[in-house]
Amino acid sequence: MRVVIPNELKIRYRYPARALGIAGAVLMVVSILLPWAYAPTALDDMTYYGAPSPLQLFFAILPVLVILLLAIPLVGKARLGKAAKIVAWNTSAKTASIMSLIVAAVAVTAIAIDLGGLINVELGGWLALLGGVIAVAATPFLPDSPEPTLYRVKSPKWLQILGIVILMALLLFGAAYILGFEDADDFLMFAAFVVGVVMVLRQFGVFGWLGIAAAANNRVLVLSAFVVAFAFPFTQNGSDANMSVASQVLIFAATALGLNIVVGLVGLLDLGYIAFLGAGAFTAAILSESAFSTIKWSPPFIVTVLIAGTVSSLLGLLIGAPTLRVSGDYLAIVTLAFGEIFRITMNNLDGNDGPNLTNGSNGIPGIPDLNLFGFDFGKAHVILGIDIGRFANYYWLMLVVIALIIVVFTNLNHSRIGRGWVAIREDELAAEAMGVNTFTLKLLAFAGGAFLAGVAGSVKAHYDVSVTPDQYVFLESAFLLAAVVLGGMGTVMGVLIGATILKLLPEKLRFFADYRLLLFGLLMVVMMRFRPEGIVPDERRQLEFHDADEELAEEVEEDLTSHHAHLNPEVGGFVL
Amino acid sequence: MNKHSFKLVGVALVAASLAFAGCGSRADTGSSSGGTTGKVATIGVISPLSGDLSALGLGIRNSVDLAIRQANESNAIPGWTLKLSAQDDQATPDVGKNAATKLSSDDTVVGVVGTLNSSVAQTVIPVLASATIVQVSPANTNPTLTQGEDLANPKRPYANYFRTCTTDSVQGPFAAQYLLESGIKNVATIHDKKAYGQGLVEAFTTAFKAGGGTITDAETINPEDKDFSAVVSKVKTTSPEAVYYGGEYPQAGPLSKQMKGAGLNVPLMGGDGIYDPNFIKLGGTDGDLATSVGAPVDSLDSAKAFVSAYSAAGFSEPYAAYGAYAYDAANAIINALKVSLKDATDAKSARQATIDAMASVSFDGATGKVAFDEFGDSTSRVLTVYKVTGGEWKPEKTGELK
Amino acid sequence: MDLVNLFFQQLINGLSLGSLYALIAVGYTVVYGIVQLINFAHGEIFMIGAFGAYATWMVLGQPSDWSAPLSILVLLPVMIIGGIVASVAVALLTERWAYRPLRNAPRLAPLITAIGVSVFLQEFVRLFYGYIPGFPDAKSAIAFPSVPGISGATIQVGGVLIQMSAVFTLAALVVCWVFLWYYVNRTKTGRAMIATSQDPDTARLMGINVDKVIMAAFAVGAGLAAIAGVAHGLRYGNIDFKMGFLAGLKAFTAAVLGGIGNINGAVVGGLVLGVVESLAATYLGASAWKDVWAFVLLILVLVFRPQGLLGAKVVDRA
Repeated sequence: MRVVIPNELKIRYRYPARALGIAGAVLMVVSILLPWAYAPTALDDMTYYGAPSPLQLFFAILPVLVILLLAIPLVGKARLGKAAKIVAWNTSAKTASIMSLIVAAVAVTAIAIDLGGLINVELGGWLALLGGVIAVAATPFLPDSPEPTLYRVKSPKWLQILGIVILMALLLFGAAYILGFEDADDFLMFAAFVVGVVMVLRQFGVFGWLGIAAAANNRVLVLSAFVVAFAFPFTQNGSDANMSVASQVLIFAATALGLNIVVGLVGLLDLGYIAFLGAGAFTAAILSESAFSTIKWSPPFIVTVLIAGTVSSLLGLLIGAPTLRVSGDYLAIVTLAFGEIFRITMNNLDGNDGPNLTNGSNGIPGIPDLNLFGFDFGKAHVILGIDIGRFANYYWLMLVVIALIIVVFTNLNHSRIGRGWVAIREDELAAEAMGVNTFTLKLLAFAGGAFLAGVAGSVKAHYDVSVTPDQYVFLESAFLLAAVVLGGMGTVMGVLIGATILKLLPEKLRFFADYRLLLFGLLMVVMMRFRPEGIVPDERRQLEFHDADEELAEEVEEDLTSHHAHLNPEVGGFVL
Repeated sequence: MNKHSFKLVGVALVAASLAFAGCGSRADTGSSSGGTTGKVATIGVISPLSGDLSALGLGIRNSVDLAIRQANESNAIPGWTLKLSAQDDQATPDVGKNAATKLSSDDTVVGVVGTLNSSVAQTVIPVLASATIVQVSPANTNPTLTQGEDLANPKRPYANYFRTCTTDSVQGPFAAQYLLESGIKNVATIHDKKAYGQGLVEAFTTAFKAGGGTITDAETINPEDKDFSAVVSKVKTTSPEAVYYGGEYPQAGPLSKQMKGAGLNVPLMGGDGIYDPNFIKLGGTDGDLATSVGAPVDSLDSAKAFVSAYSAAGFSEPYAAYGAYAYDAANAIINALKVSLKDATDAKSARQATIDAMASVSFDGATGKVAFDEFGDSTSRVLTVYKVTGGEWKPEKTGELK
Repeated sequence: MDLVNLFFQQLINGLSLGSLYALIAVGYTVVYGIVQLINFAHGEIFMIGAFGAYATWMVLGQPSDWSAPLSILVLLPVMIIGGIVASVAVALLTERWAYRPLRNAPRLAPLITAIGVSVFLQEFVRLFYGYIPGFPDAKSAIAFPSVPGISGATIQVGGVLIQMSAVFTLAALVVCWVFLWYYVNRTKTGRAMIATSQDPDTARLMGINVDKVIMAAFAVGAGLAAIAGVAHGLRYGNIDFKMGFLAGLKAFTAAVLGGIGNINGAVVGGLVLGVVESLAATYLGASAWKDVWAFVLLILVLVFRPQGLLGAKVVDRA
């Protein structure tokens, strides 16, 4: 599958290859000065001579990177000094060429589809493709770079913090920019560009360095991440359309984080997790001031949240106590059955087949907006001259909820309980033999996860305005699980990324809505087959999935010692 | 090894995204021909354009598209061009709300046709109401949407919400009236516990009892059920002369088949949810009955005009069960816009005036006379009973609910 | 109809429903017994059997006017074979491409894969079945072909009306049970299955090709599921892409009820579940709760008798 070019060839042709690569990249850069499309309706109007559109400019960044990566080493090892060795020049140039070809191909495909045929692709578009093909053909003839060792470089604290801040700022503007795309093609092209830049930086070694910087400045990282997330509504200029999506992403992410404790930390497969979210939502709806609610008692929201969480965790205990004693495989199916029981029961508690609690399939509509300490979530507030609408209010509230969940999650992960959970996940029998009270710990995880879902559900009820049983079906549980699996079981960052991808992509790429579930099923199978640890792997977890890989084992071991020793010497001692 | 597989996944993802771009047929760009001069006002559609119910949703979108094209061709609103913006709600409240938010932040949107599902309407209406955008549903039958939670003391919750379909409270009694007139006094009821079915059966039961009939048995099923043998056996012990079913054809067809299979040879009657050729394909048999709003299509000139215009427009999907209602809904909005846009400078400022103008809208639409009462419900009370005869739905009796 | 007749009517309904569950449950049990995998996508294999049989009927030119004996003796067996071919092919493909690479992975991985396979197969049928020229769109339910002599036909025994489709399902179960008994106890592959389920490593050392045995287990389960798919089509008169979800869940419940890993247990569990569901719908409140009772039964079994009614060889794999 992978063409291997013999080393002699690489050494013999390294200079022509470099020259040809640069030529291809230059061709691509030049191409943006020419029109790519025949008509302005495709992408963001690429019909001008000498006046590139924003997307064309973004595209050009990739070939410029190719040129830089190929040209800088020409000044010679001596002048580059340390920089010659600690980063991967050639490998990242190769990746940059491939990614620029892909972005150009996306653009050309989009133009052809939008305007009806390849005839509408103008000279610039073809030139970009040609340049891409040349660069992609030439760069494999460069000798492979050694693994980048940038992360080993000792850098001053201010530089690390600066790196994190720049990363966060890029994240914020990237998110705001990417959400602004109305058109699926624009979105796809930009997304391909972002993926390209990320992959190039990763190859180059920047991410390794950032990882170390982040680990060393954990507080700064978390804090700046929250500042960025908090600032996001201000980039929207009062528009609700994206805030609505963003707040849904957060609700989804909060629920997925709860599921992550159960699946990622303890290794219990819960296929009915959405039922706990639903239980929280129904509890909050019934206790709300909605005219349709069946219990005419509406405590303050703080109380409702606690009741909702408690109801969910009680259900968790009810379902967990019998099943957690037997094999874990049963749990998957029993939770699935429980999800069905929940949905059917909510449908049946309609005064017809049971007491009227939920109005059956009509659900409870008309749930009023939250009002906490005089802050009305339903109204727009003007802050710093920018309208902060209803969705932004809920967005901030969910941010707070997520912050709480992350605090709980990380503290548990590094506590006695968390270590017990991981021990159960890795080998339950061994854990039990070592004196871990497996049943109680599993039950605690199960009920705790349910509590968090209940809390998220209580906010969701007010956010959604209406709560109906058909919002809480098995497919939603499967989606939550997919977010956890895709992002990386057992990690906070991974789950946040997974949740964002799973909620955002269908929203932006509506034309493939019909294929959404098909791709999602395929994704789960492919992920389990090729990268079971997810996009952002948990280090310990990665080992479990690749236990035959000695090299990785050593790498992770090394990482864990340095990393954990730095954070918490006690933990490092435990792992090894 | 690990790096390699990451690259593989990355390449696969990008390749997949290329493939998506390759198969994109973009549903959002509703085309509307006609003059491009003048100001633009947009009519939105929120319906399921993908998923299980997409056949119904696409029929709604196309019918609205048709109404808009006709209005632009005839220059119905001088100085203005109408545009269509169709949003997919995937029949889920969450997605529907995003669609509504998107439409309400578009300043040219003056009206929305949708939704298909009452549950989606519950999250869509508040969003559109806060932006004072008129919404006309072709298919929501839940009475609480217009009359509030307490049906005994109706109170309109949202002034911007109207519908062209009739609610359950009209169809149920009409069916009761028909059965009583045919001399059937003992009927068992079954419903699928969904808003539509339950409402239908409740309205039917009240009217049937008031007319002197007896409900021999009242049963429910789950909307996803396939096996109705237990329910049928129970119903059979009460020997009814007919079974009134509240629900939709995917269950009603098999239910009718299983009834006859179990030896319960009485007609099954339902509302417009079973008035569909698929009901017969899935097991509906001769003698089964359904009510539907309006007079039969071939007895009404306006309806015939709609059907022929729809087939002439060359849509790739049929107009389906709610196409005619959606067409009427769009025309109701267009009629209101004729008043509200006349002196308006921009679309956004005409939103409130459009809602106000809806009250006086009155015209002959594809489903009969279109006008709204003080709650925003359709005033149309003309219904038709259809009967399965020779494997086809045939109109049995058209009348007005007394 | 008096109350005694109602009881017997529901008993018959329950037994035929239970036979359907039993036929599917065998697939769960056989695969679990050998690879300790809950093949979550097994419900979809059942669905594909029904669609395969439908496709066979389409290929035969939609025969609807064949006489009853000809239909029962020729049409039905051909449709069943078509369904079995489709199911077995898909089951073997999923085993080869999705499950086998994960055989030594942590327990969670194959389970998650199975969910992915399940969703994928459902969507695949929904989206692409209609693309086969002349085939109906599978986005909503498709009317299953009626087989003269079985569809709609009934026999009257006392006050109880028995549908021929129920007789077919029961008969299919009996035949399959006998076949299974023979296959497992008297054939070489069957005995290799028993050996592998007891100790895969030793079995391998004794020269058994474990991969083949696992494929055989998937194939046997898929074949029975396909027969259940046809029975389902005849019983309800229609099939749809979602039919495997609930049926699969119930069948799994049946397998656990009987003792997962135990073939006789799957059959007994299926029948008991069917009868309980049928009677509960009649005597335990509204019939809308019947699925709830089935799942409550599952949880009760796990609390009080996790090894199932007949006892399982493999209970725990923690």
